[in-house]
Amino acid sequence: MDLIWLVPALPLLGFLTLLVAGPRMGDPKSGWFATGAVAASFAVAVALFVDLQSMPEYERQVTQTLYTWMPSGSFEVSIGFLLDPLSSIMILFITGIGALIHLYSIGYMKGDPKFSKFFLYLNLFLASMLLLVLGDNLLLTFLGWEGVGVCSYLLISFWHTEPANATAGKKAFVTNRIGDAGFMLGTFLVFVTFGSINYADLRPAATGIAAVTATAIALLFFVGAIGKSAQIPLFTWLPDAMAGPTPVSALIHAATMVTAGVYLITRLNPIMAQAGWANDVIAWTGAVTALVAATIAVAQTDIKKVLAYSTVSQLGYMFMAVGTQTYVAGVFHMITHAFFKALLFLGAGAVIYSMAHEQDMRRYGNLRKYLPVTFVTFFVGWLAIAGVPPLSGFWSKDEILAGVFNYGAAGPALWVVGVLVAILTAFYMTRQLIMVFFGTEQWRGVAPVPAGAVLGASGAGAGDTAPEQEAESPTVQLGEGSDEPTAHDDHTGHGDHHLMPSHEPKEAPWTMLAPLVVLAGMAAIAGLMNLPFSDQFKRLEHWLYPMIVFENPLPEGPTLVGLAAVAIAAAVVGIWFAFFVYVKRRLDPARIELPILAEGWKIDSTYAAVVGGPGEATFQGVADADARIVDGAVNAVGRGSLGLGTLLRKLQTGLVRTYALGVAIGTVALLAFIVTRMNL
Amino acid sequence: MRVEMFTFLVTATIVLAGSLGVVLLRNPVHNALSLIGTLFGVAVLFIAQEAYFLAAIQVIVYAGAIVVLFLFVIMLLGVDKSESLRREPILGQRPAAIVAGVAILGLTLTALLSSAARVTGEQSVLAPLDPAVPDINRLGRVLFTEYIFAFEVTAVLLTIAVVGAVVLIRRAGDPIDLGEFPDGTMGDVLAARAAERNPTIDDAADEEAGLDETADDAAATDDAAATDDAAGGER
Amino acid sequence: MFGLPTQDEPIPFDELPLDDPLLFDEPAGVVIPDIEWSAIAPNLILMLGGILLLTVVSLVRGRTPSWFSAVWTISTAVFAGVTLVPLWQRVQDDGAESVMAGAIGLDGFSLFVTGVMCLSVVLGALLLEGYLRREGLAGPEWYVLLLLSASGGVTMASANDLIVMFIGLEILSVAVYVMAAMHSKRVSSQEAGLKYFVLGAFSSAFLLYGIAMVYGATGTTNLVGIQQFLSETVLTQNGLLLAGFAFMLVGFGFKVGAVPFHNWTPDVYQGAPSPVVAYMASGVKVAGFAGMIRVFVVTFGPTYGADWRPMVYALAMLSLVVGSFGAIVQTDVKRMLAYSSISHGGFILVAVAANSEAGTAAALFYLLVYTFMIAGSFGIVTIMGRTGDGLHALSDYRGLSKARPGLALLFTVFLLAQAGVPFTGGFLAKFYVINSSVSQGQYVLALIAMSAAVVAAFLYLRIVVAMYFDGNTYRGESATLAGPKVRIPAAAGVALGIAVVGTLWLGILPGQMTSVAGDAVAQLVAIGP
Repeated sequence: MDLIWLVPALPLLGFLTLLVAGPRMGDPKSGWFATGAVAASFAVAVALFVDLQSMPEYERQVTQTLYTWMPSGSFEVSIGFLLDPLSSIMILFITGIGALIHLYSIGYMKGDPKFSKFFLYLNLFLASMLLLVLGDNLLLTFLGWEGVGVCSYLLISFWHTEPANATAGKKAFVTNRIGDAGFMLGTFLVFVTFGSINYADLRPAATGIAAVTATAIALLFFVGAIGKSAQIPLFTWLPDAMAGPTPVSALIHAATMVTAGVYLITRLNPIMAQAGWANDVIAWTGAVTALVAATIAVAQTDIKKVLAYSTVSQLGYMFMAVGTQTYVAGVFHMITHAFFKALLFLGAGAVIYSMAHEQDMRRYGNLRKYLPVTFVTFFVGWLAIAGVPPLSGFWSKDEILAGVFNYGAAGPALWVVGVLVAILTAFYMTRQLIMVFFGTEQWRGVAPVPAGAVLGASGAGAGDTAPEQEAESPTVQLGEGSDEPTAHDDHTGHGDHHLMPSHEPKEAPWTMLAPLVVLAGMAAIAGLMNLPFSDQFKRLEHWLYPMIVFENPLPEGPTLVGLAAVAIAAAVVGIWFAFFVYVKRRLDPARIELPILAEGWKIDSTYAAVVGGPGEATFQGVADADARIVDGAVNAVGRGSLGLGTLLRKLQTGLVRTYALGVAIGTVALLAFIVTRMNL
Repeated sequence: MRVEMFTFLVTATIVLAGSLGVVLLRNPVHNALSLIGTLFGVAVLFIAQEAYFLAAIQVIVYAGAIVVLFLFVIMLLGVDKSESLRREPILGQRPAAIVAGVAILGLTLTALLSSAARVTGEQSVLAPLDPAVPDINRLGRVLFTEYIFAFEVTAVLLTIAVVGAVVLIRRAGDPIDLGEFPDGTMGDVLAARAAERNPTIDDAADEEAGLDETADDAAATDDAAATDDAAGGER
Repeated sequence: MFGLPTQDEPIPFDELPLDDPLLFDEPAGVVIPDIEWSAIAPNLILMLGGILLLTVVSLVRGRTPSWFSAVWTISTAVFAGVTLVPLWQRVQDDGAESVMAGAIGLDGFSLFVTGVMCLSVVLGALLLEGYLRREGLAGPEWYVLLLLSASGGVTMASANDLIVMFIGLEILSVAVYVMAAMHSKRVSSQEAGLKYFVLGAFSSAFLLYGIAMVYGATGTTNLVGIQQFLSETVLTQNGLLLAGFAFMLVGFGFKVGAVPFHNWTPDVYQGAPSPVVAYMASGVKVAGFAGMIRVFVVTFGPTYGADWRPMVYALAMLSLVVGSFGAIVQTDVKRMLAYSSISHGGFILVAVAANSEAGTAAALFYLLVYTFMIAGSFGIVTIMGRTGDGLHALSDYRGLSKARPGLALLFTVFLLAQAGVPFTGGFLAKFYVINSSVSQGQYVLALIAMSAAVVAAFLYLRIVVAMYFDGNTYRGESATLAGPKVRIPAAAGVALGIAVVGTLWLGILPGQMTSVAGDAVAQLVAIGP
């Protein structure tokens, strides 16, 4: 138990070592070193888990304080770690999947000029993520929260020779800062309310606080969670974040960092239990996000973007769960999703790797013949996410749907949304599977798509070779509208996306395939954690039970079976419909892949228009008004009649007077106020 | 009407008229002379308060030494260079300044007149000035007891003033523009940067480029220390 | 509210038999108050150091080597800093007291601020050394003015009397006016000096007027006397006193660059020599805030807090908004940093507006951190300006990460610290400020401060991006760092080292300094609760 600190310390050590010796170790030694550090951390996590399991149920809460960081006054904050059922299970899958993705990256990043730097960032990321999860108080969690944000920013911009990648990084950073403001304010409010920000102190005190306060705290933290976990309205950064290398997408933007919001809400469940309608807000935000993102995913043609929107959608599912206070189901889905989505991303990465960094699914096809291992593992991931029993995704999704159904009056409505999303999920994932691994070999002899090609009338869906204009990049960066951004996982050295006609895709090296196989295994069996059949199968529920104050009970008996049947039906319908459209070609895919969906309901471009247009104008206006408080007239007169130099000289000499006038006006304002305070 | 009141009214008129003259008259010599009027009036007010020593200092130091120094400087720089105040510096500046000034005056008067009863706080007046005790004694006593630190530390202020005056006047030569720096490269960089810019879009860049221009012009007018006035006069 | 009560008799001649005419014939009868030299040792050292330096370099035949003045200045400041230690101990043991006939407060607060001023002098002098040589500017006068100005700041921070405070402020400011104009080869420097001077004089007049009004309303200029008077007397007509508040706030607001009295900041920062700006942004602001806190929070806080707080609140809000938003559209790094310093000022005003012990401690901690990070930032700017001190456009930083990776990294640390990234001092500084604000129920202000920090983060990011990312493909061409080679003088390197160590130290192990700041506030010259 004294080893808790080792869990984040090992990746941190890896980071520091690579910082010093990384370039000297080079490719692939630095990668192996980083992987080793994370694997060691995983080993410690396992040991801790076993240790914790051997303790009596209500003592499973171990705090280890390293040192007091901010000792002054009443506000005391320590660097301390809290190991309890929730954090122990989180660190298990974070370090486990982290180690696998590190291993995978050794192959994927081979030959990259910044090879060691990549692992340096990855290790730093894991250290921050573990700090986030293990921190025993809100501030420490916030530090991890910030740290993962920064790493995410650095890794998205990793190949920052592409301006789009750098701007995508910036976008992620700024979006996350909005969320961070919510987190910080929530922390202060917690401190003011409870007099402490330690999780251990929150739980006993939470029952005594006013509902209004609890609601406010819950909403503030939810704002933070929205930013980090890419929910409406702050979700647009996540699809853009696909500009980063694929292992990053798998680790950060699917398995770990983006679930931090769900973790946070679960961690604060004692407050959430008092928070009243804030829970409804969370649940509905999750539901709407899940639905909107799923519809967008239907029309994407970039292999990673489908998965990105799918991640947003699945995160919405998790928020639906924690919003309806079905925390166990939320955590359960978070874990299974981490497995199968990491698997899908890594599979997609293997495909991209084999196809020389081509990401457009319309240029794939029939790859199962060439990439058998990738295909099988991807297939498992597909079954899992589509919700086909008995794979893991089915169990967790079913549990969420059951919990949601049981949630008061709004439950059935939320449930309907959930089922719709389940159908859509099965549909777009099947579409992806078909486009990538079945059908005709579109990559043979395809010439590069000429820029600005006419939008072809596509009559045959996946089999259609007509080059379409790349309308699927709805992203416009903050303030820099002239750049044409793409989410292509691309960097110099892979300038040409297109295979030579004679070239045939080959399987990736074993370092990339081994993680796929392990993850596929986990994605298949992770459902065993929490099976609904009888009490003894509900292991996760029992494990988490001590730290959850109020859990929305799942329906029993026939209702549960009925709901499960509907969930299975939803998966089947989705898969069948995709089969109907893309294999049987009974329906023109163009009628489903609507342009508005491809453009993400134009949400992103609307933001960009607002931020880039009126928003920037506002910034400019503030600065203008500030720099030339009362001299708007100067611009009018000056620009018309005088040369620029004269105008500016005029400004220069005028400014002292103008500034003095500013001081005088300020004085008038202060005096005017103070006169109202006088008792005359 | 009592003598004090009469004296006050007359002196106050002189003081106000003098300060208005400082601000409004166009010839610098007239400004300086108006200032003497104001300072002299204040000296009379001091006498009315029986602060004879202060009154003497006021006349000797301010009305005598300082204003005479002003006049010297004005004469040396050339008395004929009067500045026209008719020119509107920035449209709307003057009305705004007048409004702000009147507002400050009005609001301050509200405060002052409302609390007339408290203006002479009892703490400040220990006793009515005793004609037997010369105010010079009283002043000296206060300066070396209660305000000794303030009094002594003023020496630092004076030192700084002297050092500053010497430093700013002792020039290595006329200020030169950035482009003329000995190693020359800076000029190239600035020129290249100016060329690179698109003047119609990059407003802020213009402003900076324009600033360099201003510097150029001002340097050419040989009196760069008073940029404010120099550039203004040129227009 | 503020710890131990220590009331020095403000008017010692009360006890004198004033009406005894005999006394006035005997000059010996004037009781000169005890001058406790040791109590004002730091201030004296700075003052004498400056004047001695002036004397020495005038008497020495020929020019003294350029390092001499810098070493002298730094040793003086360090010496002054060292004398703080026994004084601090004394204050912690015996409590705060007022010395020099009640004109100077010897308390934790003044000693803390004195320490920060010394630090700011050390950093400023280190930066000046290389700068003067690079620009070919001669003169120990820079250092003389630096030391004297700092002594003014110390006087201001420790003043327990409004007159003393005003003189301190003038010493501080006049020296800086001169220094701003002292780059004799740059027109913009002289313009900056002149502008600063004219506007500074304008605002000082307001401050003086305010002091006169407060004197009129309370009958004393001694701060403890004022506090005593106000706590014992209920003013039936408070118009004069309150008008005094407004006028004094104008004066202080100008010094700390609070909106709407901030207009001079971008212009003056841009024009003035960069090392002077480093001192201006740190030292002058520190002293300004110290004066403001001593007058408003300590003196008027307990009795008239409700009257001045809304004004400070408004200034804080405006500073945060204008500082953050104004910075975004700038293209000149010095102007950006000027706006960001306005925004930092807004943060400290948030702490002042809290009007509490925690708020004052937060403000002190913020000022310390701020000194490290802003002096460091302007240190980089000093180096990057290169000969002529003119390359300050954002585009001049493009590709810095390639040319001088170390410099780029340091700048990144300072910028991230300013943005309030955890494990840098900036984070904790902001944290404490907002915490103090929230615990006083100022939620809206806290919210605005948080949002301003978010907006400001964008600005810092712009600079970082310019240094790291734009270097590769700016407008299609591979841009390398333009302009002459960047040289880092050894002294400036030391300054940057101190600054970065300070910034990180206060972020990772802040415990010591936060408790020092707390102790500083616990020992204040004030009347009891």
